[in-house]
Amino acid sequence: MSGWEGFLHGLSVALQPGVLVYCVFGVVLGTFVGVLPGIGAMATISLLLPITYYLSPEAALIMLAGVYYGSQYGGAVASILLRLPGTPQSAVTTLDGYPLAQQGKAGVALFASMTSSFLGSMFGILVLIMLSGVLSRAATAFGAADYAAMMVLGLVAASTIGAKDPAKGFAMVVLGLILGCVGTDVNSGAQRFTFGQAELMDGVNLVALAMGLFGVAEVIANIQVAERGGVPRRVALRDLMPGREDIRRIPFPALRGASLGSFFGALPGTGSTISSFLAYAAERRISRRPEKFGHGAIEGVAGPEAANNAAAISAFVPTLTLGIPGDPIMALMLGALVIHGVQPGPLMLEARPDMFWGLIASFGIGNLLLLVLNLPLIGIWVSMLRIPFRWLFPAILVFVCLGVYSVRGSSFDIFAVALIGAIGYALSLARFNPALLLLGFVLGPLIETNLRRALLISRGDPLVFLERPISAVFVLAIALLLAMSLVQAIRRKAQRDRQR
Amino acid sequence: MRQDLPDLACGVVLAAIGLFVASYAATHYELGSLRRMGPGLFPAVLGGVLLGLGLLIAIPAWGRGRQAGSVAWKDAIAVLAAILVFAAGLERGGLVPVTVATVLIASIAAPDRKVGWRLVLAFAVTLLSVLVFHFGLKMTIPLWPNLS
Repeated sequence: MSGWEGFLHGLSVALQPGVLVYCVFGVVLGTFVGVLPGIGAMATISLLLPITYYLSPEAALIMLAGVYYGSQYGGAVASILLRLPGTPQSAVTTLDGYPLAQQGKAGVALFASMTSSFLGSMFGILVLIMLSGVLSRAATAFGAADYAAMMVLGLVAASTIGAKDPAKGFAMVVLGLILGCVGTDVNSGAQRFTFGQAELMDGVNLVALAMGLFGVAEVIANIQVAERGGVPRRVALRDLMPGREDIRRIPFPALRGASLGSFFGALPGTGSTISSFLAYAAERRISRRPEKFGHGAIEGVAGPEAANNAAAISAFVPTLTLGIPGDPIMALMLGALVIHGVQPGPLMLEARPDMFWGLIASFGIGNLLLLVLNLPLIGIWVSMLRIPFRWLFPAILVFVCLGVYSVRGSSFDIFAVALIGAIGYALSLARFNPALLLLGFVLGPLIETNLRRALLISRGDPLVFLERPISAVFVLAIALLLAMSLVQAIRRKAQRDRQR
Repeated sequence: MRQDLPDLACGVVLAAIGLFVASYAATHYELGSLRRMGPGLFPAVLGGVLLGLGLLIAIPAWGRGRQAGSVAWKDAIAVLAAILVFAAGLERGGLVPVTVATVLIASIAAPDRKVGWRLVLAFAVTLLSVLVFHFGLKMTIPLWPNLS
C-alpha cells in the first residue's frame, strides 16, 4: 500500500462513527487538560488506560493519541495568558506569549499558536507517512543486537540530552529497568522480586505505576502551585484577528519549527519539549530583530508551538515501525497497545494496516477538528482557566483509584498507587524526572530479551554489538553522548569552582 | 551544615536499593553465563549500576549546600490518606460512602477553609463515579456497605 492509498484507507477506518467519536473525545479532553495547569497529557493518558480495555484497539489508540496532540494545542493557552505552562511542552511559549498578552495582543498570540500547531501537525503527518514506510522496510534487517543497542541509545539520549544532571536521569532509567524485572521472567519462568506476593507475578502494574507517578505525585505538587496564576482576562473571537504584519511573521517560523520538531521527535530520546526549546533558540538566532525576543516576538510563539506539535506526531515513527517508544508518553501508548495484544514493530504495517493507517488518518481529522473547534471556542477554553484546581484534584484522585481498581478488581493496586505516588513526589522534590523511570520500565523487558537473544546467537561474544553495522552505529552514538555529557559535567564543575 | 539534603537522601536510598537488588539477585537467582544469561544476571548488573549512580549523586551532595524546596507535607498527607482510605474501604464500605470520604479527606489540602463547596464537590464526584463506573462501565463493586 502506498502512502496515499494507505491514508485513504485509514480515513475509511477513522471516519467510522464508532471510532470518530473517540477521536473527538480524545482531542477535546486533550485540549481541556492541556489548558489546565496541574494536569497534563501524561496523567490523563494514564487515567484513560483502564478505560481502553472496553474499546477496540483502534479506537483506544486514536483516543489516547488525540489526548496527546490535543494537549499541545491547549497547553499554549495558560502559557500565554497566565505565564503558567499548561503542559511542559509549551513552557517555552511563556517567554514571548505572556509579554504579547500583556501588550493586549493575547488573541494574536493564541491565533499564532493554534495555526502554527496545526501547520506543525500537518508537517509531522507527512514526515510520519514518508518515514514509516522506509523505516519498516529497513527494520526487517534489524537483528536482536540492533534492537537492544537502539533501545539503550534511546534511554541514554533521554537521560543526557538537555538534562542538568545526567546521573539523576540514568538513576531513574536504571530504577525503571529494575522495576521492569519484577514478576515472572519470560525466558526462564523464574519469579523475580515477587517476595511471595501473587499480585506481583505479572510484574508491576503499568497502570498503577503511571497513575502513581503522574496522577498522584503531580496532584500533590500542584495543589498550591496551580492556583497562583490568577484569573485571565476574557478573550473573544474577534481578538484573534491578527494584523497583516503579524500574519507575515507566522508561516516561516512555523515551517522551520515544524521541520526541527519532526526531526527531533522521530529520534529516540528527544521529544517535543526539547524540540520546542530548540525551535525557540533557532528562531532567535536567525531573526533580524533578536532583541524583540522575550518582549513579545510572535515568531517566538509560532516556532516552538509548531515544533512541539510536529514532534508529537513524528514521535510515533519509532513507536509504530520499530516498537520502540522514544519518549515516556509513547511508552504509555506502547503499553496500551500491548494491553490489547498488539505488538508494534516492523510487521505492524503489514499485519494491522487498519490500525496503522487509521491512526495516521485520525491525526489529520483530529488536528483539523482542533483548528476548526478551538479558534471559535477560544472564549470557552479561556474561561476554563477560571476553574480552581481545588475543584478538580479530589475528583482526579477518585478516578485514579477507581481506574486502577477496574483493571483487575484488586485493592492491592490502589495501595500500590499510594506508595508509588509518595515515591514519585519525593523524587520530584529532589528534581528527578519520573518520566524516565517509566521509559526504563517499559523498555526493560524488551532490552533484556533482545540482549539475551543477541548473546545467545553470538555464543556469548559481546563484540557482536560492534560487528553488526547497524548496532555499531548505535553503540558509537551512545559512546558519543556519554562522552559529551562527561565533558559538560567537568566543564560545569570547573565553572562552579571558579565562581567560589 | 552545608549539604544538599534531598540529593543526599535520594542518592543514599538509590544506592541502598541497588545494593539490595544486586546482592539479592546474585544470591537467589541463577546468574548463568553471557552465552546463556540466567534470570539473575540482568538485575544483578542493573543493581550494581544503580549502586554506583546513587553514590555518584550522594557524594557530591555532601559538600554542596542548597536551599531545600518546601515540602507540601499537608497536601501530601491529605492526598495519600484519601487514597489509602479508598483502597481500604472500597470492597467493604461500598462505592458511595468511600467516594464521599475520599473527596472530603483530599479536599483538606485545598487552600481555603470554607466547607460548603467540599460537600457539593463530594456529592458531584460521587454521582459522576457511580454513573460512569457502576452504570456506564458496569463494574462489580457494591454501592453501599455490606451489612449482612
